[in-house]
Amino acid sequence: MTGWLSRLIPSRSGPQPLSARAAATMEQWQSLPDVDLARAHYETRYTVVNTEATGLDLERDRLLAVGGIAVDCGLIHLDAACYEKLDPVPAEALSALLGLAGKGPLIVFNAPFNRGMIEQALLQHLGLSHAFTWIDLYLLMPALFPERFERPVRLAEWMASFGIETFQRHHALGDAWAIAQLFLAAEARALSMGLSTAPALVEQERAYQQRLKI
Amino acid sequence: MTATAAALLQGASTDFLRNHSPFNRMEPEALSFLAERAVLGFHPRGSEILTPEMGVPAHFYIVQRGKVQARQTGAAVVTEYASLAIGPGECFPIGAISARRPSTNAYVASEDSFCFRIAADDFLQLMQMSPAFHLFCTQYIASLLNQSRQQLQTTFTQRAAEQQTMTTSLGKLIKQAPFAVSAESTTREALERMNELQLGCVVVVDSERHPVGVLTQSDLLPRVILAAFDLDRPIGEVMTANPHQLGASASAYDAALEMATHGVRHLLVVDAEGRLEGVVSERDLFSLQRISLRQIRAGIESAADIEALQRASKDIRQLALNLIAQGIGAEQLTQFISALNDALTRRIIELALAQHDLAGIDFSWVAFGSEGRHEQTLSTDQDNGIIWRAPEMANGGQVKKRLLAFAGVVNSHLAACGFPLCKGNIMASNPELCLTLEEWKARFGSWIREPDPQALLNASIFFDFRVLYGSERPASQLRTWLNKTVKGNSTFLRMMAVNALQVMPPLGRIRDFVLEDDGSIDLKKSGARLFVDVARILALRTGVDSSSTVQRLRQAAARMGVPAEEVSAIIDGFNFIQLLRLRSQHLETEHDAPGDNRVNPDSLNELDRRILKEAFRQARKLQLRLKLDYQL
Repeated sequence: MTGWLSRLIPSRSGPQPLSARAAATMEQWQSLPDVDLARAHYETRYTVVNTEATGLDLERDRLLAVGGIAVDCGLIHLDAACYEKLDPVPAEALSALLGLAGKGPLIVFNAPFNRGMIEQALLQHLGLSHAFTWIDLYLLMPALFPERFERPVRLAEWMASFGIETFQRHHALGDAWAIAQLFLAAEARALSMGLSTAPALVEQERAYQQRLKI
Repeated sequence: MTATAAALLQGASTDFLRNHSPFNRMEPEALSFLAERAVLGFHPRGSEILTPEMGVPAHFYIVQRGKVQARQTGAAVVTEYASLAIGPGECFPIGAISARRPSTNAYVASEDSFCFRIAADDFLQLMQMSPAFHLFCTQYIASLLNQSRQQLQTTFTQRAAEQQTMTTSLGKLIKQAPFAVSAESTTREALERMNELQLGCVVVVDSERHPVGVLTQSDLLPRVILAAFDLDRPIGEVMTANPHQLGASASAYDAALEMATHGVRHLLVVDAEGRLEGVVSERDLFSLQRISLRQIRAGIESAADIEALQRASKDIRQLALNLIAQGIGAEQLTQFISALNDALTRRIIELALAQHDLAGIDFSWVAFGSEGRHEQTLSTDQDNGIIWRAPEMANGGQVKKRLLAFAGVVNSHLAACGFPLCKGNIMASNPELCLTLEEWKARFGSWIREPDPQALLNASIFFDFRVLYGSERPASQLRTWLNKTVKGNSTFLRMMAVNALQVMPPLGRIRDFVLEDDGSIDLKKSGARLFVDVARILALRTGVDSSSTVQRLRQAAARMGVPAEEVSAIIDGFNFIQLLRLRSQHLETEHDAPGDNRVNPDSLNELDRRILKEAFRQARKLQLRLKLDYQL
């Protein structure tokens, strides 16, 4: 069975009913109002999300775990985080991530893969398709800090540039911890450039991407 | 949120903290308390993290990465550093947050910096739950005390510089440009100018300003007036040729030696090329003579009369100023003053004994109150008494009469030497205070049994006793008896505690200090006394023999198992208040105003104000301990 087919066909045991806790989380999530994106960074709760998968191929590889860290009003609270393995109940893990993130903007490093993995999983396991605001630091960082790197570079290079360390690389939460710290710096820089809201970041990222293509 | 994720992040932060002091010494529970509450934030280069204008700090920061510069704001630099770099693992602010007052520094990120922070209330709670962190903060405050002392030194160095020593170079002693004439000038012209300028001598120089002669006032009578010297003749004919001269780098001591050797009163000071720079007179050197501890002591011990002792008493004050100038700490300073005052009192007693025959009578002259505690400042009135024992077969009444007459003389001589008579008549010439050992025990015993307000007040004065003259034995017997008696009387100790807690440290909720009506703080009543009163109770409770507050605190703390560092911080606080008292007394007496114990906090520099506040906080801590002990 090819990757894409396996994801479309329900797993052997069929769609599992959500546990009471996950159901409550989802119910609560559904009832959340849409986030006011006009708010400044220092009034906004962003959530850094990151994945662990069997490989880097969106088509073939499978999501193993998700990690998330909230960056709330410009601060990282160490207890506002989650790390969930998808096995044995993927819906459970994903609802925990949603519980953390709410409907706020999501931060990833390398959106095509991470965003893709997460959107697929949400659809497959929770039947959820929601238009989150996604911000990709892979593109936003060089747009904000051209004096450090003009072209997109890997996470390890940004970490080295800021002297950021983490307790475990290539771990959904370990990398999220590094990305979250990068995002703190990004928020401060963006603010000094007059980019004070999430849509402004999205626009900056898009403009940068356009420039790259030229 | 999932427990594992929080645990992973907190674990990572804990690992970071564990690499840095004081967190590496922190108890595991305290460390996890900190990690659970820590929040990470980012401060781009050049951004202000905390400034005095932000008011009482809401957060305590620990630098995770980057560098933060602490800069002193305001016109005056109050610590030894003007700016200080704070790197990973270091934290701020400590003094401001523990005292709940605005920071005196501005903290600015000098690099892109990540900082953990916890709320101010969590900081205070952390200090309470972690002895290691508490110690770190108190030591930090103690280091501020040290800096203040150094600064005090600089303040006084200037004064000290004005009172130069015998090692001062002559170049620095020259007060004015010398008056010099050529050898061809007429004598009249030279003398007229000398008179006009009110000079003691005129120097004669050659065309290159090398001195060739000198004529002093004392030469005038024999050489000019009596010799009927013709004033129109050149001064070269009447001057003393080849005058005594010294280089500008020679010391005042060299000059004194030169004068003494050659019997001259003036010396010419010349530069490296032998050109005249100025004149130094014998009088210039006299004002330099400094009083040393040894000299005063020798002066006291050899004093033949009260006048000599009065001079010594003045010298003691002068010495105290010099010692403050040298930056000596309050504990040593008060000990010096006590030692010299003790010697002075002993000499007064010896002189009085020469006129009062007390042969065969065993007596000890005892000091009470601050003198009894070795904590005399410069404006202490006398508090003293006598413990005596009649020789066998003697008439006690007769003996006491003779002692009282003798004590009256000593009291009045002490007053003549700068120890004012006690307004409360706590003096050995008071028949109530000239008692046998048994009578003293009875008096002390009655206060302990019936601790009414007067009895408690008495206890706070008389229980701080020590012997100044005579046998130590009756006093140590009294001390042993007292400690034993009080130990068995918890009601009395409790009443003492209630009494000691009546005055609170003048710390304000809104403003830094609670002030008296005249805008000042009474450093004795609402400062030193707080420490003294608690120390007395702790000493009585733990059976400490010493009467000094510092010793009482140290020894009692050791017996109660209080960490030495904690008691050191308390003692530092007490000493700082004592130092401020001495300083204000001293500065005042220099202006001939009566020394008192008041200080206006606005007149203190920022650092001293901060430390004073910390000192009061130590007093509050000490009181709190007493409150808990007696459930008050």
